[in-house]
Amino acid sequence: MLSHSAIDKLKSICGEKDVITSKIGMYAYGYDGTMLWGVPEGIVMPESTQEVVDVVNLCREQGITIVPRGAGTNESGGSVPVDGCIIMNFSRMKKILEVDIENYVAIVEPGVVNWDIQEMLAKYGYYYPPDPASWKASTMGGNLGECSGGPKCFKYGVTRDFIYGLEVVLPSGKVIWVGGKDFSSEPMYDMTRIFVGSEGTLGFITKIAIRIQPVPAAKKTMLAIYNTPEDGSQSVADIVAAGIIPTTLEMMDNLIINTTEDFVHAGNPRDAGALLILEVDGHPGDMDEQVKTIGEIVKKANAREFKVATSADEVDKIWLARRVAFGSVARVRPNYGVNDITVPRSKFPQAIAGIEKVKKEFGVTIGTVAHAGDGNLHPLILFDQRDKEEVETVHAAEKELCKMAIALEGTVSGEHGIGLLKKPLMIQEYGPATMDVFKKIKRAFDPQSQFNPGKLLDL
Amino acid sequence: MSDLVAKLKGIVGDEYVVTADMSQYLRGKEQPAAVVFPGSTEEVSGIVKAANDANVKVNVGGKVVETKGLSGGIAIVMSRMNQIEEIDHENLTCWVQAGMNHQELIEKLAAENLYFAPEPYAVSTSSIGGCFGIGDVDTKTFNYLPTRTFILAYESVLPTGDIYKVGTKCIKCVSGYDMIHFIVGTRATLGIITRVLVKLLPMPKAFRAVIADIPSLQAAAVAFKAIQKRKIFPSRMNAVSKALGNDVMDAKGALVLVDIESYPVSAAQYAKEIEAELRIAGATFTKVVEDKAEYDEVVAKWLKIREKISLEENKVKFTVGPAKVGTALANLTGIVGNLEENPCVLVEGLNGKITVFSKNADADAVAINKMAMGLGGNVSGLLGSQLRCKAYNDNEMLEEISRVLNSIRSQFDPKGIMAPGIKL
Repeated sequence: MLSHSAIDKLKSICGEKDVITSKIGMYAYGYDGTMLWGVPEGIVMPESTQEVVDVVNLCREQGITIVPRGAGTNESGGSVPVDGCIIMNFSRMKKILEVDIENYVAIVEPGVVNWDIQEMLAKYGYYYPPDPASWKASTMGGNLGECSGGPKCFKYGVTRDFIYGLEVVLPSGKVIWVGGKDFSSEPMYDMTRIFVGSEGTLGFITKIAIRIQPVPAAKKTMLAIYNTPEDGSQSVADIVAAGIIPTTLEMMDNLIINTTEDFVHAGNPRDAGALLILEVDGHPGDMDEQVKTIGEIVKKANAREFKVATSADEVDKIWLARRVAFGSVARVRPNYGVNDITVPRSKFPQAIAGIEKVKKEFGVTIGTVAHAGDGNLHPLILFDQRDKEEVETVHAAEKELCKMAIALEGTVSGEHGIGLLKKPLMIQEYGPATMDVFKKIKRAFDPQSQFNPGKLLDL
Repeated sequence: MSDLVAKLKGIVGDEYVVTADMSQYLRGKEQPAAVVFPGSTEEVSGIVKAANDANVKVNVGGKVVETKGLSGGIAIVMSRMNQIEEIDHENLTCWVQAGMNHQELIEKLAAENLYFAPEPYAVSTSSIGGCFGIGDVDTKTFNYLPTRTFILAYESVLPTGDIYKVGTKCIKCVSGYDMIHFIVGTRATLGIITRVLVKLLPMPKAFRAVIADIPSLQAAAVAFKAIQKRKIFPSRMNAVSKALGNDVMDAKGALVLVDIESYPVSAAQYAKEIEAELRIAGATFTKVVEDKAEYDEVVAKWLKIREKISLEENKVKFTVGPAKVGTALANLTGIVGNLEENPCVLVEGLNGKITVFSKNADADAVAINKMAMGLGGNVSGLLGSQLRCKAYNDNEMLEEISRVLNSIRSQFDPKGIMAPGIKL
């Protein structure tokens, strides 16, 4: 429990209304996108780097740990409170500080919502490529903490590839700038990269220099429908082998096709085994050649239907089902667990087979959405959290999916992070020697585990 | 010392330990006790453990090892570990040993219709281990991203001699701290990379180069800005001063080298528009290179220029952003003199970066950083980070960055034996 004097000091730093210690006020900060839950000792909402520094120094002196939080959309327990901590909520630090279109850079605060940046950049014909599914709610600080991906990763890369530099408050309370407004400004060690994806365990990011780029001059959106997911994954392999790197290769299985049909009536055939949404972008003169090649490839892989959108309405129609995929499963069961397993692209068909096996062995309902080009699968296990026995079965099935990914030389997380949820699986993925290397990093920055303790690894 | 040499011979075999006539493997004045040529990760591990036991320093190189601080220590040359272990066409990856020559890897992959984008730092000597050890932001970074984005996994020997491996063939992975990318650019201070899984791309469908003789670097900067306004982003868009340009052609002024890797329609159209902009900016000679063999020749000449620039010790590198290159060039003249007569100026139009020779590099770097900061940029790398802190009179940040860097290093290398010439 926070002492009265600690609460008073926090209020003197952040202001009376930006420190919450009431039980009811803290309720909304106890969870994230998982089923994990925790109770903090208090919530602080700093508005500036100096306020972050002051809170960090106070907490260090008083032995209080701090869990950072953006919008709380993460899927691994990274922002869930742990015993005795306070939550540092960055939602007040939401200014877009600088936009320099001609030099392809913008500087933003961590509380800015990804979508707000996209809307602002769209006015100039520019965008920021990382586009996680949560982009209308998730914050840039959270995106960096988890190194978020999204549908465009296959061609453009993930969050870490679009970060030029950072202002960071360290557990020591000191502020450093790493990187700059370009990729050449790191102080020899690429400090920016080690902070991105570190889930707030090494430092708290207070300013972010992002790389922005012009919206491509042309884009083509296509839809291919298959009788089996295996045929769809064969298309993915063949497209890459033909030398084409699409912007997007999104796959949905039969269950998700049906739940989305129930929800939005997108017009996809209910008996299809899988569908693939494909996009290519670039110079207008290069589109036809790529579309023609893709059309030939998907037909050879037994696609029963292949459509190329010819208008903005048709593009929207193709994307409609994918956009509502996660929400649509609520029609089947009240809860779902999102998994984030990733395998080498060539092992995608084996991963699909592995998911089928888990379904049968554990008797669970799974619908799969996948960034097929990346080998990143999101099997959604559907359940009812009021049924405790079923919850246990779901946890066991999730563990089995992760083990399957590791056995296929993949990873337990492609874009959602480790947090609390997947921490026990790290040793299986890496073994003791590599885990020890990770611990060296944590010790170098935060030997007392003051920042987001117990997440990602234990010292 | 003879005990150490005997131990090293026991690890790698007598023929792979050299203790006399070592100069061809060394760069620098100091002399190590031995040059060692390991053939496997396990042998590298054995060598590093022996160094720990004998408490001597270690440094590593592909063909040549820097000897600063290495007196009496061990120089590890990785040239025996020079094999491609696996090319995976389906996943677009390749396992390669660290001692493989960078350019040779590019050529072997090209024969399989695969593309490895990072440019060799020094085309005649660079190894793939060196490529990631240095972790350059090369002139193709705008389109392909920096070198670090091309590593997916690696095996490494820690400064303690322990071996670890991190990464997979997945292009997305957020499991654990991002050691995969953090290791890039650490110059062997955190260990010796022995095997690397690199990311490949499909071979581009069409290639074009545009070369131009242009009256000044300033005129090139004007053209570069105009080309970007047309939303054209070639693979490379560089200009070099006359002295460097003469390696490609007998130019009267600065030499512009632009190359495009794309699809046939866009490549042809972009080349035409780029040539037009260079003409408008005053180019007295332009040529669009369409023939692939001739294109390869132009790129090979460029890589020689790049090697010359990389190995030049008296230089300052700084970035101001693509839109401010012209202003920076104008200001730079006041610091280092006439740029057209300078033996080594490289202007990277897309990265907004300038490299310039200076007889007084350390002193000029301070003035150049001040000028660059006035334009929103800074000098590159560790020096730039230090100069920025000094310019802001922020000793606290300077000390904290130094503390963190050295804290990481000492976690990995508690005895301080690796890469003694590198100071953080």
